[in-house]
Amino acid sequence: MARGDADFVEFAQAASARLVHAAFLMTGDHHLAEDAAQTALVRTYASWSRVRDDDAYGYARRILVNHLVDGWRRPIREYPTEEIPERRREDVADEVATRGWLTAILGALSPRERAIVVLRYYFDLPEAQVARELAISVGTVKSTSSRALEKLRANGLRAADSQEACR
Amino acid sequence: MSDLDRLRRAMRVTERPGVTLDVASILHEGRRLRTRRRVAGAGATTLAVGLAAVVVVVVVNAGPDDPGPPPVAGAATSPVTVAPAPSNSPWPTPPSTTPPPTTMAGRESPPKLLGKIITSGVEYGADQRVFFFVRVTVPGEPRVTIGLAAGRRSPDGTLTSDYLINDVEGSDRGPGFHQIGYDQNTSAAPVPTFGYFVGPASRIVGTVDGRKVAARLAPWSVDPQVVIFWFDPADLTPGDRLDGIVAYDHKNRGL
Repeated sequence: MARGDADFVEFAQAASARLVHAAFLMTGDHHLAEDAAQTALVRTYASWSRVRDDDAYGYARRILVNHLVDGWRRPIREYPTEEIPERRREDVADEVATRGWLTAILGALSPRERAIVVLRYYFDLPEAQVARELAISVGTVKSTSSRALEKLRANGLRAADSQEACR
Repeated sequence: MSDLDRLRRAMRVTERPGVTLDVASILHEGRRLRTRRRVAGAGATTLAVGLAAVVVVVVVNAGPDDPGPPPVAGAATSPVTVAPAPSNSPWPTPPSTTPPPTTMAGRESPPKLLGKIITSGVEYGADQRVFFFVRVTVPGEPRVTIGLAAGRRSPDGTLTSDYLINDVEGSDRGPGFHQIGYDQNTSAAPVPTFGYFVGPASRIVGTVDGRKVAARLAPWSVDPQVVIFWFDPADLTPGDRLDGIVAYDHKNRGL
């Protein structure tokens, strides 16, 4: 394996989990998320000589998010499955509940709103960088983010207080 | 804990650390994509030159009774077979899983222009923004035969193509919206957001940042069920992504 390939493999293994999870937050679908992360990494590898010494992770993230935002109008593939999620932790019930709650409230957002929420609050990117990555203005990031948070609050972001209190 | 802290925490605790992707497959697909980009990059120049050259000939030869659209097919009686291309290429875009034709550059021909050219009313100095369909062939997708190009027409009739969109699977005549083209910031003349809808649409409205934006429409001369639409750059900044888009029929019913 060439040195560049070895570097990329190391990068891909390190970045996969976060990219897949970001894609899951944007789609609510594990299969779509893995497809999207794989696509982002394929494109990153295709440009590896150019991006490896720059910000490869940022490049992959940008490809991923824009790929998903662009994909909103395409037919959604469904993957019927009987698969039961593997139980890996003692707190799996809490995690499943949190994931379900998160998926439900994020589902109220448009693809762009979801992308901005994920970039702002999962990747913790500043507004200016979100604007650059989505090729939109900072003003659009601010207004969209604000609208998204209103929707999240209206759909249960605050209700988590009572949810947590009941546990 | 604030709302935002709770949101951040929920996003993080639901990560699945054990996720692994098929890295061998990623390397394989990445190499193929890299190869396709090289091939497509070589072909893009051929397209622009080919279209321009053919249309100039047609303009020169057109008589007063010449009725129809310039038959750009004159030099391209066979469909174009294309190599997969990056998203901002003016070449048709086959599915990413399709293996590339191996010797494209040597046997490409200018695409066949289908139907009349649509004049958008958008101008760049003396050049006009136009839209037109061309014949495309996507390997393994026999029901994808047309692609919609955003081009420019100069005062002498020279036609150049900035950006071409086409389906990469299914049928290019399936009802509903098909691919939508966004400006890729690669041209001095920003491409208005454009696309086509199949069905009896008399109005198309996009949503961006909660704002409704009406598209301009024109039926395709070959098949009036195919409605070409574009957003005036004054209404929708080229490159700005739509959050949604809806078509309505003449009774204002959503399609």
